Amino acid sequence: MNNSVNIKLTQDQLDMLKELGNIGSGHAITALSKLVSNKIEVSLTSADIIPFWKVPELFDDPSIDMVGIYSNIPFNSDLAIIQIFTKESIISLINILADDDRIAVEDLKNIDDLDDFSCSIINEIGNILSGHYANAIADLLSIKLIPNVPKIAIDTINAILDGIIAKYAQISDYMILINTKLKVSDINIEGTICLIPSISILKSIFKILNLKYDLNL
Amino acid sequence: MTGGRVEKIDRKDEIFLPIGHYAIFNCKNNPNKIQPKISIYGLGSCIALILFDYKNNVSGMSHILLPKSRQNKTINFPHKYANLSVKLLIQELINHGAMRKNIKAIIVGGSKIFDLDENFMGIDNTKAIKQELEKLEIKIIGENTGGSEGRVVIFDTNDFSVYVKSTREKDFKKLHG
Repeated sequence: MNNSVNIKLTQDQLDMLKELGNIGSGHAITALSKLVSNKIEVSLTSADIIPFWKVPELFDDPSIDMVGIYSNIPFNSDLAIIQIFTKESIISLINILADDDRIAVEDLKNIDDLDDFSCSIINEIGNILSGHYANAIADLLSIKLIPNVPKIAIDTINAILDGIIAKYAQISDYMILINTKLKVSDINIEGTICLIPSISILKSIFKILNLKYDLNL
Repeated sequence: MTGGRVEKIDRKDEIFLPIGHYAIFNCKNNPNKIQPKISIYGLGSCIALILFDYKNNVSGMSHILLPKSRQNKTINFPHKYANLSVKLLIQELINHGAMRKNIKAIIVGGSKIFDLDENFMGIDNTKAIKQELEKLEIKIIGENTGGSEGRVVIFDTNDFSVYVKSTREKDFKKLHG
């Protein structure tokens, strides 16, 4: 297939993005592990440049409903952190932090199925993770990054990602995703934290880090 | 500008249509006599545009992401954009033996998954497709758009029936056929 709208990154640049993801997710996951007082297994962070239609393939089974927590980060261009958790994870987190069985997995179909307290717990978890993630990379880049209040949706992975793909694949057929998978086996938590920079953000990041960039757009 | 055609049919005679792609079938001229189902699992703000001419047995579907293409860019996946996809899919149908005046449309999708003020992509997509179809005088005979849930859509090229299920529904509804 002919793909002339392309993003070319060198191995160095990709490694740098991976490192950025490692540092960000490292801080976020440390915060989460304190919250749940449990050890969290973390996969290596991957930085991928992938065609827009393949983005959902980076996540799990497309037929299962997942919980998506979307935090937009206001900066000079689009930047977002999206956290994807299984429904079981969200319920585990609510149970750990609220100390009782508030809702069963099969009853959780819509965000409105959660009571206010449970909702604010998820919001807070989203806030903590994206806040720590953004803070860590902001420190590194000496810029200011403060995520907006997260939005939550429960749906299939494809549906959750549609609007995000629409936003980030407007000028290019490729998207950059910096993905870190996490898991807490004992309490059944499984999810992904994903940083999505727009192409112009990428340029600013490379500029700050004084790396040569060759974004063929 | 013909990028993104999906022709691969899986073992269950189903074609999965990724974003920005399209599929087209003329069941009369099909040597294998396979009349596949074209499906999208998890339509959010995207739209499935289904066009068919049942008299000539030609049908097609595209998976649209954005309302409008940007100008002066090389476009490899025209079916990503509502304005281009509508035109091109009609042309493809005609190329495959359809009569323009017989072509009918069904649109599914365009929901708003995250409750964001800025998130009007689904509504914009729906609007853009309707405008384009109206301009080209193609009648919409079935529609399931809007709302805040994802959808599954299955289009059976055998009898032109369309089945839709939103994420939180248990069973498929027959939208057409």
